[in-house]
Amino acid sequence: MNRRQFLASTSAITLAAGLGLGAGQSARAAESEAVLVLSSSEVGAPNQDPIRASLLNTAAYLIYDRLVEQDVDQSYHPHLAESWETSADGMSWTFKLRQGVRFHDGEPFNAATVTWWIAKYRGSVNDYLTDAIDHAEAVDEHTVRFVMKRAEPNLIYNLASSFMGIPSPKSYDAAGDSYGVNEAIGTGPYKLESLVVGQETVLVANEDYAWGSDLSENKGAPYIKRLSLREIPDASTAFLELKTGGVGMLLGVPDEFLPQMQADKNIGFRSLPGFGVTYLMFNSKSEPFSDMALRQATALAIDQSAILKSVFSGVGLEAHQFLISSLAESKVEPKFEIRYDIAKANELLDKAGWARGSDGIRAKDGKALKIKLSTQSETEFRRTGEIVQAQLKALGMDVEIVTFDSSTIRDHLKKGEHQLAVRHYDWNNADILDWFYSSKNIPYPNSTMWDDPKSQELHDIAMHQSKTGDERVANFLHYHERLLSQFAFVPVHEPLQNVAFNNTLLEVPEKVRGPQLTQPTFVDMKTVA
Amino acid sequence: MLAFTLKRLLLLLPVFFVVSLVVFLIIHLVPGDPIDNLLRPGASPAQRLQIAAKYGLDRGLAEQYFVWMGRLLTGDLGTSIVQGRPVSALIAQNLPYSLQLGAAALLFSALVGIVAGVVAASFQGTRLDDGITGVILLGSTVPSFFLGLLLILVFAVWLGWVPISGARGWSSLILPVLATGLGGIALVARVTRIAMVETARQDFVMLLHAKGLSPLVIQLRHVLRHAMVPVVTILSLRIGWILGGTVTVEYVFARPGLGSLLIRALNQRDYPLVQGCLLMLAMAVILGTLMGDVVQAAMDPRQREARS
Repeated sequence: MNRRQFLASTSAITLAAGLGLGAGQSARAAESEAVLVLSSSEVGAPNQDPIRASLLNTAAYLIYDRLVEQDVDQSYHPHLAESWETSADGMSWTFKLRQGVRFHDGEPFNAATVTWWIAKYRGSVNDYLTDAIDHAEAVDEHTVRFVMKRAEPNLIYNLASSFMGIPSPKSYDAAGDSYGVNEAIGTGPYKLESLVVGQETVLVANEDYAWGSDLSENKGAPYIKRLSLREIPDASTAFLELKTGGVGMLLGVPDEFLPQMQADKNIGFRSLPGFGVTYLMFNSKSEPFSDMALRQATALAIDQSAILKSVFSGVGLEAHQFLISSLAESKVEPKFEIRYDIAKANELLDKAGWARGSDGIRAKDGKALKIKLSTQSETEFRRTGEIVQAQLKALGMDVEIVTFDSSTIRDHLKKGEHQLAVRHYDWNNADILDWFYSSKNIPYPNSTMWDDPKSQELHDIAMHQSKTGDERVANFLHYHERLLSQFAFVPVHEPLQNVAFNNTLLEVPEKVRGPQLTQPTFVDMKTVA
Repeated sequence: MLAFTLKRLLLLLPVFFVVSLVVFLIIHLVPGDPIDNLLRPGASPAQRLQIAAKYGLDRGLAEQYFVWMGRLLTGDLGTSIVQGRPVSALIAQNLPYSLQLGAAALLFSALVGIVAGVVAASFQGTRLDDGITGVILLGSTVPSFFLGLLLILVFAVWLGWVPISGARGWSSLILPVLATGLGGIALVARVTRIAMVETARQDFVMLLHAKGLSPLVIQLRHVLRHAMVPVVTILSLRIGWILGGTVTVEYVFARPGLGSLLIRALNQRDYPLVQGCLLMLAMAVILGTLMGDVVQAAMDPRQREARS
């Protein structure tokens, strides 16, 4: 091949590749279209199959409807189930189903759909959502009863999950393993047009929709006719897209960009209560945090208000207990709340025999109080770690920070190599306590290695012996208070969920309904005329 | 020439085995595993075991390697743990985007680099030469992700000429091509300049000058032709490098491609997908090198004789 041929072939490759890719781009309808950026936690969702997926994105809330919807105050509201009742012993649940509902493929939604659907979860990765149900039976065309294996008041929470969207049995069974990638058929206000994993999910309005939930003003077809949900992993790029109107909304706003966004008059905000808590995790199996006095002193030396101010620019709430503040189980007795009290923290360590050396660092039996703080490389984790380091220095603790990426830190925790770690969870249910503190979950996710018989007894009552919702709240409160009394963790911060939108493009209802920005609000959103 | 190429291809086999072993070990020895990414609060430890068994992650590392290798030899790259789809299908879906970006960036750096090199060589020792050398040196030292953000700010945010991110037609290719290709310009320009200067000193060029040919004709028709041998070699070598270089650029511009796929797979510790992507990138580098050798041998028979 000579020089000319070589250069010609390179150009040909470029041109061919470009034409091949360019041909698929269709002109977008300018009318009533919105482009949104998904939050980073939803990036890479591989399909829209609620039964078999372990990660879904916001599209799942729009393609599918659920039996019930949860509101921002964690209350439950009818949707495909018009009403429901539970037997006194909690062993059966009866749902009256909404009539006249049809799937995107024209199939009717009825009691037979629900019995088929519940059975589908058996053996799937989401089996846990329905494992308290023995079976579902159709009472009549529009009434279905769940016969329970055990009482489970938390079933109502599971039913409102995005993983309990109801797909069309006919399409689901016909598509087999490929369901959810090229085709996803629900009864929801939007239909799936295309899904490119890691790039974009495109939805179009379901014009036949007429069964909007109690939480939406609009009960019919959505106002925005076409929705593109884009995945932009780099926060700076996403921010610039919003600023220049390339996209209409960011479903997750990194705290570090808030001040810049607030200064822009074209950017509007909706803030929802927190969906998770940032906290410090101890390793209670190894020294020095196997000693409760050390855990308590550390907890009392953390000043949540300083962290809120310096790391999170004052956005969000100070956390003084483990659960998000909209949950009833977070309302522990004030005496159990963990609050900054450096005098008491110092007193505890003095009493325990940890004397300060000339460098201000405490020591006992010739051993200096040196600990390793494990944190993640993301800005908010790293900065929280730095402030914690400074605050613990005031207590006489010499803290060295070790930084990991989000996957590596899990491995580190599993091996029990940590002493203290900055952690964050996102979950709006009190059973997160089971996940992190049940002795059955040692070494991961219970990397606190929490193994306290009294806690476990209260855990078992809360998780398995609660018959009604109220009973469950009371039982979880006891369990939660026990963990607080033992200083099993240090609560630090409860971030708000911030949604930012370009107000020259989108109109967003003042009040967002639902624990996150999902279907009830999406169907009420409009494009700016 | 055919024998030379075949011999080179045969040499690739042991290289392929070594690369496959390294690729496999790299991701398996990194802490973290895909199961944690598949489980959410609420899932049970039994489900962990179920997933591990399903993807063979409960077997020993050596056994996992041989199973993977066995499949690889039949052309099966395995199934993505997170996406549940064949790795080869995912790569096939994303590779064209990276090839498009890579080829355009290569072409861009080749054209600009060669022109800059020729101009610098033609005005050797002048301020123009110093200026070109300085600018391209500066350009080559800026990391591509930073350059990417800088380009976004200037051309997309301030001037509003091109889209910021995504892959929607030709206009969204411009900034990623600039970010990927700018670094290569310096290299191509430097090699072109040196080769031009050295060729210009050779006897046959003196002869051409003595014959009274115009300096421009000598420079473009004769000197440039000879100077192209090392330039084409460098460009061939850059094929693999440039595909690897698209990783960060694709991330910044939220562009589909092998790089975006790899970063996502790495974050999710999706072993088969990471292995597939890394193998593709490694093979691109190896094949680029082979192509460099072959092209060089084709253009300069002395090389072929010396190395066969």
